[in-house]
Amino acid sequence: MLSVKKIIIGLLLIIVAAQFYRPVQNKDLSAMSDHISKVVTIPHQVNGILKKACYDCHSNNTSYPWYAQIQPVNWYLNKHIKAAKAQLNFDNFKHYSTRRQLSKLRAIENSVEEGTMPIASYTLIHKNAVLSKSEKKLVMAWAAASRDSLEQIPF
Amino acid sequence: MKTLIYSFAFSLLFISTYSANAAAKKVIILAEDQAPKNSPTAILDAYLKLKNALSTDNAQNAATAGNELVKAFKDFDQSKLTAAQRKTYTDIESDAKEHAEHIGLNAGKIAHQREHFDMLSKDIYDIAKLLGAGREIYVDRCPMYNKGKGAIWLSEVKDIKNPYFGKAMSTCGSIKETLH
Repeated sequence: MLSVKKIIIGLLLIIVAAQFYRPVQNKDLSAMSDHISKVVTIPHQVNGILKKACYDCHSNNTSYPWYAQIQPVNWYLNKHIKAAKAQLNFDNFKHYSTRRQLSKLRAIENSVEEGTMPIASYTLIHKNAVLSKSEKKLVMAWAAASRDSLEQIPF
Repeated sequence: MKTLIYSFAFSLLFISTYSANAAAKKVIILAEDQAPKNSPTAILDAYLKLKNALSTDNAQNAATAGNELVKAFKDFDQSKLTAAQRKTYTDIESDAKEHAEHIGLNAGKIAHQREHFDMLSKDIYDIAKLLGAGREIYVDRCPMYNKGKGAIWLSEVKDIKNPYFGKAMSTCGSIKETLH
């Protein structure tokens, strides 16, 4: 029994020590000069959906919940955000080749339609990020229209 | 002391479970004997292998071929390209490599692999147009994929073997163009 107590104390110590580990947070308050809105038009409603359901992981600015300050939650979140941004970063969209922009818009449309995005681990906590049928339709129509507008530009 | 070591071990275990999945997925099957080449031979070979895997509904082989394609892109020698060619090539590659990576990572999801294969096929077509195919390659088109919008693929054989629908609709499609 004594050893169980020691293990618990040991774990607690590690958790406390981990709080001093502070990775760089995903916060960039500089102007959004390379944002997707510089490439394609984003209607007001779509912008709201992207903000509440996508930007926490797919942009340079995450609005962290309070518990994100606690380790290892913070570490875990930042790891996910880094991976998500490597796939698609709305704040870096202008730098993608037109070809890649088209692929990304297609991927947005597909993943929203299939319901693979926003991922379940995110919507579990962010209930407002669960997209309604009409919200899904809006995003999909926007992605499709944006693709058409880009495809007119020759590579 | 012993218990402290145990507790360390437990917490390490706890942390490592997060990264274990990612690490397992990163295992890439590589053919080491391929020297870098100037023509897109290795790229086309891996693509055609992927196409054949999808047309027989084999998601596992498709993933393997996807990883081989990633390697073919990495090994491709760009030094013999003209400046203009290189610019176009890097543009295509940045997109195509990502599709190949996704196909490699989604061994269990053939529908997802096919979505990326659609976008990848356009990239490979452009590479073949840009650098030459170095052999007879047929550009096939299936009018039904993408909810009737259609999709192309490249093939080394004249027979239609549809990679988008696989065995369910093997002969759907027709030859649109021949590349050399």
